[in-house]
Amino acid sequence: MKEILIIGSGISGLTCAISLAEMGHRVTLASPFPSERAQSVMAAGGINAALDTKGEQDSVACHVADTLKGGCYIASPTAVQGLCAEAPAILRWLETLGTVFTRDANNRIDLRAFGGQTHRRTAYAGASTGKQIVTALVHEARKYECDGLIERRLGLHFHSGLIRDGHCYGALMYDEVKRVFEPIFADAVVMATGGQNALFGKTTGSTLCDGYAAGKLMTQGVTLKNLEFIQYHPTAIETPQKRMLITEGARGEGGRLYYLDGDQRVYFMEDKFGPRGNLMPRDVVAKCIYDVPTQVYLDVANLGADVIHGKLSEVDELCRRYLNLDVTKADIPVYPSVHYFMGGIAVDNHHRTNIESLYAIGECAAIYHGANRLGGNSLLGAIYSGKVAAGTIDTERVEDAASKSPFSAVYIRRDVARVMNECLGITRTEDKLLAGIEDIDHAIGVCEKIRFDSSVSPYQSYALKGLLPLARAVLTCALHRQESRGAHIREDYPETSDRFLCATIMRYNNGRYDVEFVKEV
Amino acid sequence: MDAHKVSTNVTHDASPSSASERACADHNTQATDTPATLTVRIKRQRHADSAPYYQSFTYTGTRDITVAALLDVINYTDDLYDTEGQPAPRILWECSCLQNMCGACAMVINGIPALACQVFLRDLPPDKITLEPLSKFPVVHDLVVDRRIIEENLNLTRMYPGASKAPDSREYEHLYTIAKCLKCGLCLEVCPNYHRGERFHGALLANEACLSRGLTKERQKDIKRAYAKHFAAGCSKARSCASICPMNLPTLSSMLKMNR
Repeated sequence: MKEILIIGSGISGLTCAISLAEMGHRVTLASPFPSERAQSVMAAGGINAALDTKGEQDSVACHVADTLKGGCYIASPTAVQGLCAEAPAILRWLETLGTVFTRDANNRIDLRAFGGQTHRRTAYAGASTGKQIVTALVHEARKYECDGLIERRLGLHFHSGLIRDGHCYGALMYDEVKRVFEPIFADAVVMATGGQNALFGKTTGSTLCDGYAAGKLMTQGVTLKNLEFIQYHPTAIETPQKRMLITEGARGEGGRLYYLDGDQRVYFMEDKFGPRGNLMPRDVVAKCIYDVPTQVYLDVANLGADVIHGKLSEVDELCRRYLNLDVTKADIPVYPSVHYFMGGIAVDNHHRTNIESLYAIGECAAIYHGANRLGGNSLLGAIYSGKVAAGTIDTERVEDAASKSPFSAVYIRRDVARVMNECLGITRTEDKLLAGIEDIDHAIGVCEKIRFDSSVSPYQSYALKGLLPLARAVLTCALHRQESRGAHIREDYPETSDRFLCATIMRYNNGRYDVEFVKEV
Repeated sequence: MDAHKVSTNVTHDASPSSASERACADHNTQATDTPATLTVRIKRQRHADSAPYYQSFTYTGTRDITVAALLDVINYTDDLYDTEGQPAPRILWECSCLQNMCGACAMVINGIPALACQVFLRDLPPDKITLEPLSKFPVVHDLVVDRRIIEENLNLTRMYPGASKAPDSREYEHLYTIAKCLKCGLCLEVCPNYHRGERFHGALLANEACLSRGLTKERQKDIKRAYAKHFAAGCSKARSCASICPMNLPTLSSMLKMNR
């Protein structure tokens, strides 16, 4: 049994927690707010799986091909193969947890067309797929919470990884209610913190996803990947508080994009790409809308009130509430908006980062979507990545957190004491002081490399980082006071000098040790 | 922020008659009202253990924005001053989706609990609005409250289906709808019987029980027992929960099903 810390409790974090608990591990699921606030609840459109319930000869191979092509061939084919092959089983798993997917007239899981896909492949649960999945996963996680295998910690913000010698052994969290920091130690840490929305102010997603964790971890040595690939969703509505997403399902069901040239409607996507033009991948549609010199509209009214109220009720509600617009009668003015981050924390096909025992899943990890994500693949990726990371953690041996550094903290302490006693004896000379400074500077360099010595107490290890600069400061002061006075006796400056009838002030400034002599008043 | 620059210009004409007419209208620039000026009075508190106080701010702009957007407009001014001209700390409030899907921005608006992203200024009295934190949860700071009791009580009553069964297809729609519960706590705030969630856990438990029971065979008895103890025994049928729910959950029909 291992102790795992998962940070972020959206669909990906929940899935990983449940999977680990199923394997008998103990999970701490930490997040600032409950899962109901996660961006996952906003995923309206659906989740891709080659179930082929429409008799269109869809297959895992087609799903793989579409995903790789949509991502412009920079995603790992192995990773994408795993994602798509597992998709049908993931849908069945969600059903056993109580997610009710919308059924067709033959009582088979209904599939809708989504952008960049050669077949109808996107399953959905009414107009709130993400929310329905979150509810089912929260229930399943609660079962393990009640049994003590999952402990949920709400009110905790991520501060930093506890990382030493390339190994992660927990995270430092900030408790906003108690206003204290709290370290949580673990055999493995899983980041499930979502995309980098806040970099753009507001996006279609949650304001809680800000990318801080990825940025902080980068400064702690974690490798990131593909950051420049930022998905603009082609169809969002402008409202006073943000741009809100109109699901790609609206076009999947037959919604058409157009602009007005005089009184004439120009269906520019269909003109350019044929009858399926409205469902080109998002990167293509967003660029085409951007190129249109005037306002672009989405016509869903042509689908009729039954389809709109049945399958697109969320679109209807959003436009009614925030635009005062009845989509069964009027068309929707749409704008592209920042929506998804293909890039993020670099992970291998097992969801390992470059730091041992640190994993990343869901949107904060960069892996399946290459240069552009297909609609319906993010919910799939969130769940699949949670399961893969859990499997990796389950099979990997717990890394010995012992230091692999060849330098010992004890050795450095002994060396410092030797230097100080030699250079700062009853009498001092410039030569000795300079040699001592050189030795201490060397020790400071070594200390940066050892970072952590597991053979001594943590305090003895990190205290070096304060002691060594202090030693360097003492030597520097002794070097600059070029006289003999009281307890400071310089063989090379035996006389007392009026110039030094002052106190010695030491300031540390980014690696520089500045000395100033100041007259006391 | 761009969103705010745009926001003050956005208004919506009320009666689009046809698609092309609608499309021809210059949607984003047609003003329907002159800028309004109103006083926004906010109940504030720096920390969980400090004393609350009221502070007022002046807002000038369109009424066609929600309280959530209003809070952003106030917070993102360069320097924030109250109506007395005193410098004020930024107003802390909780938000996530900003579009009625997550329940984060629950607060009391002019005495009525609501989601800030749902309530438009045009639907409120013209001169003055008052914003207060939910009163039945401990304040963290300003309009942010600690709602962890909701999760704790759902764990205490073991509200989950366990090994799920395929639900009766006639129940799909009801289950789908109650699965949308935001756990925002508005139904607890408004309920005359809910105080601190010690024994009576409020309407969200009724919906959660109904959902869990609809998905399980084996745990039906346990769920019913918890429902009886922590909901039915304390409900006086004031029904305020049903009308306050931002998702319009059919709480009364969940109660009916559970009482059957």
